[in-house]
Amino acid sequence: MSAPGRGWAPTSLAQVAWATVTAAQAEPQRYRLDPAHTFVHFEVMHFGTSTLRGRFGPLDGEVEIDPAEGRGQLSLVIPTGSLDTGLKALDQRLCARDLLACEAEPRAYFVAARFTFREGLLTEVRGEFTLRGIGQPLSLIARHFGCYRHPLLQREVCGGDFEAELKRSDFGASFGLPFVADRVRLKIQVEGIRQ
Amino acid sequence: MKSLALTALAAGLIATGAAHADTYAIDPTHTFATFEIQHFGTSTNRGRFDKKEGTVQLDKAAKTGKVELTLETASINTGTEAFNKHLQSKDFFNVAEFPTAKFVGDKFTFNGDKVAEIGGTLTLLGKTNPVTLKALNFNCYQSPMLKREVCGGDFETTVTRSQYGMTWGLNYGFSDAVHVIIQVEAVKQ
Repeated sequence: MSAPGRGWAPTSLAQVAWATVTAAQAEPQRYRLDPAHTFVHFEVMHFGTSTLRGRFGPLDGEVEIDPAEGRGQLSLVIPTGSLDTGLKALDQRLCARDLLACEAEPRAYFVAARFTFREGLLTEVRGEFTLRGIGQPLSLIARHFGCYRHPLLQREVCGGDFEAELKRSDFGASFGLPFVADRVRLKIQVEGIRQ
Repeated sequence: MKSLALTALAAGLIATGAAHADTYAIDPTHTFATFEIQHFGTSTNRGRFDKKEGTVQLDKAAKTGKVELTLETASINTGTEAFNKHLQSKDFFNVAEFPTAKFVGDKFTFNGDKVAEIGGTLTLLGKTNPVTLKALNFNCYQSPMLKREVCGGDFETTVTRSQYGMTWGLNYGFSDAVHVIIQVEAVKQ
């Protein structure tokens, strides 16, 4: 392209084309979440002994990211009734009114607009998590983030693993304290297909 | 002094009582093996086995033990039916021919009074290889509901799936090493 030391100038057709692509990429990109690879897992300590796990999903939704501007937009709906611990009786107990209140509050939400990027890769998403109708700030930290060209879809897929921590008592889900810990760790798998 | 003597006597009784292996039954509600494997180097796919059974023998005084845990391979659950089906097929767990996977561990390492490692073997797809489970947590407590002692913890290991002939996807770059995390609690019998 341009010679070293010179300012960038679209002096050839190739450079004009390149400039057009760059301008297009500077716009927000939309990704449709791939439900087969989008789940929210949680971990909570049981009697200071072992880690109880469960999963919400598959989840769908849309993410808009604009690495050039360091912006993004995400609105995720999590059906609380999609909870799956591997055991029906435990799912029912966790769905009760004093925990997830799945009947009265069938949806949890994560809405975020504060996206942090480092070298074009997403490192943190800050937003508001609403559970049992109570909204609290929540920060998701990226443990991995990357993009690849999906060989079957022939499209770009971006995604990664995110982690967050919350106190369930902040959302009024207080049954079993302190035998079952207050601190809940979220492990989120997410992949989005470029639209 | 009297209470001190009683305490000493009680401690003696407990020590005597503990000088043999106690048997614990695996609590299926707090025992799960979950695998984690990277998908296209981007996000982590997770799945777990929902049906399992097993027993643990633990001799805290002698610091020995034995654990047997059998997983029903068809109960693999990833949250996605198509992925479950693929994992159940001959490409992976071949559940029609090999309905169970079994871990037998009898080399217990303690750190103080807590189990730190369990060495043993994993039998999968008819092949048996050595596997060591490393404890991330270990603890015993008196369950207020069961009115019995419960011991358990979190363990992790890495399984090399090609050792068992499970090689699907290696040529696409899917990892041979599979991280396995195990929650276990067992109730004293």
